Amino acid sequence: MNRSELIIQIIALATLTIACVLVWVVTTEVFHVEGEILSVPMGIDSGSDLIDRLYSMIPLLCVAMLLSIAFAFYIEEWLSETTWYYRIINQQISILANIPSLIYGILVICIFLFQVKEFLNFTLVLAIVFLVVPVIIRTTQSAIRGVDLSVREAAYALGANRWQVITDHVFPRAFPKITGGIFTVISRVLAIAALLIIVCELRTSIIQDVSSYEISSDVFVLISLALLSCVLSSFLQINRNS
Amino acid sequence: METNNHSIETKNLSLWYGDFQALMDVSVNIPSGKITALIGPSGCGKTTLLRCFNRVNERYGNVTTKGEIKILGKNIYDPDVSLLELRKTVGMVFQRPNPLPISVYENILFGLRIHSPFGSLTRNQADEIVEEALTSVFLWDDLKDKLKARATSLQLEQQQKLCIARLLPLKPQIILMDEPCSALDAKGTLAVEELMGILAGKYTFLIVTHNMAQARRVSTECIYMFLGELIEHRETQALFETPEHPKTADYVQMRYG
Ligand SMILES: Nc1ncnc2c1ncn2[C@@H]1O[C@H](COP(=O)(O)OP(=O)(O)OP(=O)(O)O)[C@@H](O)[C@H]1O
Ligand SMILES: [Mg+2]
Repeated sequence: MNRSELIIQIIALATLTIACVLVWVVTTEVFHVEGEILSVPMGIDSGSDLIDRLYSMIPLLCVAMLLSIAFAFYIEEWLSETTWYYRIINQQISILANIPSLIYGILVICIFLFQVKEFLNFTLVLAIVFLVVPVIIRTTQSAIRGVDLSVREAAYALGANRWQVITDHVFPRAFPKITGGIFTVISRVLAIAALLIIVCELRTSIIQDVSSYEISSDVFVLISLALLSCVLSSFLQINRNS
Repeated sequence: METNNHSIETKNLSLWYGDFQALMDVSVNIPSGKITALIGPSGCGKTTLLRCFNRVNERYGNVTTKGEIKILGKNIYDPDVSLLELRKTVGMVFQRPNPLPISVYENILFGLRIHSPFGSLTRNQADEIVEEALTSVFLWDDLKDKLKARATSLQLEQQQKLCIARLLPLKPQIILMDEPCSALDAKGTLAVEELMGILAGKYTFLIVTHNMAQARRVSTECIYMFLGELIEHRETQALFETPEHPKTADYVQMRYG
């Protein structure tokens, strides 16, 4: 690794850390989270409440995915790879995409146990965004890069402009891999949802009686769906020739 | 070069990739309706020069160009020049055959579809255009039953001919070819050369080649380049038999003699 790459790495990491600290400080200031575990009622008392809550986030999820795909096209097609902002953005996306999804789950669970209602909503949104955006951008980027250079050259030399090259060639050829990325993300989201349901119900039953706790069937459904998406995703991302 | 019949004229053309100068003061006139060969050692800027003429170099960031390029008498860096029209007039064939990964039929029509408003092409017109283009590159008999086949599944020789054919509906004046035969076998090479011979006259060809025998076989004029400079430009036979510049003589002898 040469010096400029090292500097880019450090800047990317530092800006991300600062952003996270800022978000943390602002939200804890705004919502005054304090250590009163298992006390305040929070409006989510069972797995199905939580599932409803998650359903209501589907539109957000879709918007986040579409914006991420659009953003990936923007940075790959419009920004030059040699510019410093391209390199920093790229690095930041890598870092975020490589964070294990479990970490977001743990974060959400911690907040969960504090059970402040508004804060919970906010964290769910944040977790979903962090879970979705970097992975979708990353897979879309690699899908775009996977499109053969000769296809672009041919199209440009025939007079196609950037938009025509993207809509006629790059997008259709990248599409299977992009859907692959979408399924990866769905799988991650479902897995975390399953985890949350367990935590949520466990908490309710701790208050009542631990021995009566049974894992709800929703959890199994979610985990199987997560595994299914995972399989679909790897299937769609297989490199297909021609 | 007494006549004024030049398709491409450059004056003091220089080009930099970043701060590396790849072309130095190149002034050259390419005759219309003939085949001109561009030869020289690897890295001397042949591809770069070729790519100036349809302005695809600009796509690689950090390229600076200085000097003048006139195609059919028109300066291609004038603000009123449309890239679309330029690329219609100046077609390009690449080293590795690169048909688009769509059907043979759609490959031929792709250029037209870009250049004409949506839906302005009737089915009959389209069929005719495809047949005409494939006929002029002698592919019609082989491919008339395979029009729906994916172009990338054809043999390499057919792919390269298809890449030539797909330029024709746009009615280009100039066809640039960057080592068009280096991916083909001997038979394919001969077939493409023969095709060029037949199409020359109707189109101006500029062909980059590492194959001296090929340059001699196909071209009327020949340009030798070395480290970004144009060293010698003469009639092919003269350049090979009585090179004026010692560098040309060295190269030609080493590669051919
Ligand atoms: N996109 C680019 N960015 C930076 N330098 C480049 C780029 N393309 C070419 N060069 C450099 O410009 C010089 C000329 O390259 P060019 O590809 O035109 O040579 P060429 O004569 O076509 O060589 P070959 O016979 O190997 O195809 C080379 O030194 C090459 O390294
Ligand atoms: Mg070259």
